[in-house]
Amino acid sequence: MFLTIRIAALATVLLLPVGVAAGVVLARYRGPGKSVAETVLSLPLVLPPTAVGILLLRALSRQSAVGGWLAVRGIEVVFTWKAVLLATMTMAFPLLVRSARTAFEEVDPRLVGIARTLGCGHLRAFFRVTLPLAWRGVVAGTVLAFSRALGEFGATVMVAGNIPGKTQTLALAIFHDTQTGHEDRAMVLVGVTVALAFAALWTTEWVSRRRARRSVV
Amino acid sequence: MGVPAPGAQVGRVIELALEVPLASFVLRVQATLGSGFTAVMGPSGSGKTSLLEAIAGLRPKARGRIVVGGEVLLDTNRGRRVPPERRHVGYVPQDAGLFPHLTARGNVAFAARAGRERMATAIDMLELRDLFERYPVSLSGGERQRVALARALASEPSVLLLDEPLAALDVGLRERILPYLMRIRDEWRVPVLYVTHNVGEALALAGEALLLREGRVEAVGPPLDLLSSQGVVRAAETGIENLAQGRVVSHDDAGGVTRVELGTDFAVSIPLALGRAIGTVVTLAIRAEDIVVATEPPHALSARNVFEARIAALERTGVDTTLRCAVGPGGRPWLVRLTPAAVAAMGLAEGRVVWLAVKSHSVRLV
Repeated sequence: MFLTIRIAALATVLLLPVGVAAGVVLARYRGPGKSVAETVLSLPLVLPPTAVGILLLRALSRQSAVGGWLAVRGIEVVFTWKAVLLATMTMAFPLLVRSARTAFEEVDPRLVGIARTLGCGHLRAFFRVTLPLAWRGVVAGTVLAFSRALGEFGATVMVAGNIPGKTQTLALAIFHDTQTGHEDRAMVLVGVTVALAFAALWTTEWVSRRRARRSVV
Repeated sequence: MGVPAPGAQVGRVIELALEVPLASFVLRVQATLGSGFTAVMGPSGSGKTSLLEAIAGLRPKARGRIVVGGEVLLDTNRGRRVPPERRHVGYVPQDAGLFPHLTARGNVAFAARAGRERMATAIDMLELRDLFERYPVSLSGGERQRVALARALASEPSVLLLDEPLAALDVGLRERILPYLMRIRDEWRVPVLYVTHNVGEALALAGEALLLREGRVEAVGPPLDLLSSQGVVRAAETGIENLAQGRVVSHDDAGGVTRVELGTDFAVSIPLALGRAIGTVVTLAIRAEDIVVATEPPHALSARNVFEARIAALERTGVDTTLRCAVGPGGRPWLVRLTPAAVAAMGLAEGRVVWLAVKSHSVRLV
């Protein structure tokens, strides 16, 4: 269980800056390649997770460029916790990006312009105006991504296998316990996942309601 | 006119030679403006807001040259384009553009370079202390404008760009904000470009007016001169068509009239205005349709103002006919609007001498 939370948390932390950046770019960029980029980013949402898992597995095999590069440096990914991390990140990424993108699209670009006339450079304007105004969407996306990372099954089982104590996350353990006839143990784990999901969703609700009080029109 | 307009100051401090591609045309502005208040006027969609945004640096496609107070903000021929954060402009858009996630205080203090003293002055002048802890959603339109003005002033701008700061407000609120703008003009000594549709505001505040039409500068000059010419009049929403500046010479309490002298041997009676001290310079407005025309000197008429005039031109304007008349000793250009039927019945034609009668109550102070 701690493995699951640790991996989900790490995946979320690693995804956050990348996801926010991708959200901003997709929200503001108008030009060629935009719809292609959007489609590729959203693929993990619509593909069967096992398909994504196989693609990752292929990408990491010693015959591939990436896998070969890693192997030369003695980095083992497949069937380790790193594979779990990679699989959950891949599956959670689009959820964060989509939600962040919508939030950034709703920020009035004129307000950013005004911040600039008041002496803020691009970065300052982003952190003092754009991000605070898009905050709710980013938080919602983060929670979604975290929850997805907690429950990821298909892609994980393909690239990381189901090794107890090593790559077995909650979702995998529930499946494993049911298959091996330990249904009562599975139910305990189900209870844990429900509690985690509740905690995550309530946190978002609480955060967004606190902010909403100020900015409801 | 001879009387210095309010807000006029010596020195040309803003130099514009700009091209900004817009959706349906290219905005081209070539002008040098003074250090006082400049009213930017013209019909909707003539490029007024785009002009302000280009000066603020928010139009990346702007080409040409912008110089404010000796500082070159844009010179695309020399590859110079100062980013907005280093232009020192105070920009207030039409909807005030307050940051919704910050309180009034947070908004005013937002400017990275806000000097404490300058900020305190702006806050006091615009009377914002009571609004400090409130978020923009809970502020009224006028309060938002005041906060936005203070925010712009606190950033120590070398030019203020105000986009119809009063347009969204009702008449009562306008009257309350106007004095704040006058104080900015008189106390801060910052050149101001002020977009407005309202002739009265332009006359009250500006020493100069810049008229835009379809992306071109139609005219630059003292507002009174520009706004009483006919082309502009059609653009003005208010329908004030004859404007004249004069000096209050007497108040007749019993008679209920105040006399305003427009020049030697030329005075107008207006409803008693004791608020304007004798000697004060005032601007009068008379609607073209409020003027009565007679072909003989009228004897028994209640109208207090009767002037001899000569018809310089007749022009069909929409359903009406507009007479351009040369009035009084100086031959001031006044416009009179009549129905074509009246023109025909009276046999009015170019060169004809007529008498124009105006009730005191048809003359308004702007």
